[in-house]
Amino acid sequence: MTRVRAQAALWIGRLITLLLRLVGRRGTSLPGLIASRVSPDLLFRLLSQLELCVVVTGTNGKTTTSALLYGMLSDDEYPWLTNRGGANLLQGLLGALLPYADRRGRLLVRRAVLEVDEATLPLVTNRYHPTLIVVTNVVRDQLDRYGEVDGALAMLRSGLQYPGAILLTNADDPLAASLGWERELTYYYGMDECPADEEPRNEVRDGAFCLICGRELQYERYIYGQLGYYSCFSGHFGRPAPHFGGKTDGSSELIIRERVSDHRQEEFMVDAGAPGLYNDYNVLAAAATARLLGRSPRQIQVGAEHYEAPPGRMQMFPGSPERILALIKNPTGANSVLRTLESDERDKAVCFAINDADADGRDVSWLWDIDLERFVLAARCQHYICAGTRALDMAVRLAYAGVDRQRIQISEELPEVLTMTSELDVPVYVLSTYTALYPLGEQLQEAAR
Amino acid sequence: MTDRTVTLAHLFPELLNLYADQGNISVLRHRMHARGWTLSVTPVKLGSRVDFGSVDMVLLGGGSDREQQLVGRELAIYREDFATAIEAGLPVLAVCGGYQLLGEYYELQSGERIPGLGLLAVTTRAGKGRLIGNIAIEWVSQNGESDGKTIVGFENHAGRTFHDYAPLGRVLKGHGNNGRDHHEGLQYKGVVGTYIHGPLLPKNPHLADHLLAKALAFKGCHEPLDALDDALEWRAHRSVLGMLGVKSGEIRA
Repeated sequence: MTRVRAQAALWIGRLITLLLRLVGRRGTSLPGLIASRVSPDLLFRLLSQLELCVVVTGTNGKTTTSALLYGMLSDDEYPWLTNRGGANLLQGLLGALLPYADRRGRLLVRRAVLEVDEATLPLVTNRYHPTLIVVTNVVRDQLDRYGEVDGALAMLRSGLQYPGAILLTNADDPLAASLGWERELTYYYGMDECPADEEPRNEVRDGAFCLICGRELQYERYIYGQLGYYSCFSGHFGRPAPHFGGKTDGSSELIIRERVSDHRQEEFMVDAGAPGLYNDYNVLAAAATARLLGRSPRQIQVGAEHYEAPPGRMQMFPGSPERILALIKNPTGANSVLRTLESDERDKAVCFAINDADADGRDVSWLWDIDLERFVLAARCQHYICAGTRALDMAVRLAYAGVDRQRIQISEELPEVLTMTSELDVPVYVLSTYTALYPLGEQLQEAAR
Repeated sequence: MTDRTVTLAHLFPELLNLYADQGNISVLRHRMHARGWTLSVTPVKLGSRVDFGSVDMVLLGGGSDREQQLVGRELAIYREDFATAIEAGLPVLAVCGGYQLLGEYYELQSGERIPGLGLLAVTTRAGKGRLIGNIAIEWVSQNGESDGKTIVGFENHAGRTFHDYAPLGRVLKGHGNNGRDHHEGLQYKGVVGTYIHGPLLPKNPHLADHLLAKALAFKGCHEPLDALDDALEWRAHRSVLGMLGVKSGEIRA
């Protein structure tokens, strides 16, 4: 019976994909959604055929890391598949696999890079064991969705429990690194050298406690958020030595030193043209994974050169004014994006599009954990615009961060972002939560034509 | 009067910072500054002493379960002085985990009890499922009177809290203390305990000023607080009432 259902789901999914293609629509989540309703089994029947599968999970950087990694791994000889654009729940994974299944349910491409939501990871690894799992970081995200950061950590831990699971994770993040504590088959990446703060910023640091004794961790160096060089005062727990060390001077060039074994030490350069220290971490994670899977530094650099930012990850829309769209969904991610804006020395306008649907996080408390005070002083920003269902919350936040109330423009309607910024002669950064991102991306694309 | 400084002790900020307490502090600081006062914030890490005699106001924020257990262990040293200060009228704002912590214990699903500060006769039990969502309450004063003012925000708690003190208000939309008795929060002398964050104060400027007036009075200064331009704050407040379908005619700010 389950076999029959799976076959039916496959045909239905294929049929919908075909119909959507006929009417000129691609990349929607509909085929995966409906097929997974018909048969929850189909996904696992397809997954079990994969020869190699890398899962990318964690709070921030999943989509960018997956896109980078896909570019570094896939070529004409050995094509890979991936779930582009952040469809990272079970139906999204199925939607990514479906186009590669023939009508008898055989996968034609048998290597996959899959971005997987933290809460979905245990549901996947319960029935299917990926080759390697990358955990980018574990930071405060949508509190109403997972309770709190400890909940996300517990889900990741349970998702990593199958025998033979290889883990690659971030040495500089105490919460992510704690996943590898006293664990075999674990590799770490981290920054050997990067421009970082001397003083801790006004940021939340969720991982700042020793998991064994509960004491506050000591930081020898802060990088951003809870990332840095940390250790427990009692010596229980500290930053593990990374197998892949990154070195950056703030440009998009990243030098990677590889120390997987004593007799295999290499150094190579990767440049994906992606601005921001948080993107250096994404590049480092992707390159380290590709190395663990046997790709050469040359192949990795070629892949990185062809990298294009996924929708809404510092995506540029040329025009007058130029507009740049970036996803913000939690304080650590938003601070990283704001710092990248601060390093753009031009005068600028910033629009915050804040929604509070389930996928955005219904609780907007996180807006107050963003370090906007420093941004307001440092960013040469003349125009502040607030949009989305929580535009007013953002406006109040900006007012208390020191922006003159009279200078904040407010509209709850997203399309007005275009009209409110059309007369500006400075670049417009549009920082958006998840559910506002895609509608805004379409409007900005339209306007850039 | 030359000393125009109000001292806020922010208890255990390294542990209890889950729901954007910086937002509450930022609101208090700006609203004091606008009236020619300075708000001086003293972070008190767990284990270090507090001189309650030199404090005009206390903030206790929310933390995760793990962090709350860490706090629970080392609270005994604060109990006596803190209780004396509360009886004397010290204003305390306790949000979420901090609100639970004022009480006697937090009982986990397993039956294990994590001790609180034991300052007030308040108990909390973990319930099945979290009480999550936007919330609006009608603010009721300690003598049971209401002039129709509302308080809005967001709640997210697994704990069900029970006590016999005056609540902060009556639930209009949302869950409140325990999802059963339509009460939200607690008021006792200068203490305000609540599950409402979002953070609490930015969209509730009347409550922020209420706490500041109490802090000034506790300090011995009874000057009235000048009105500020809160048009933006009230628009944001009303938009939450709108989302919840509570008629904004009920607000008399």
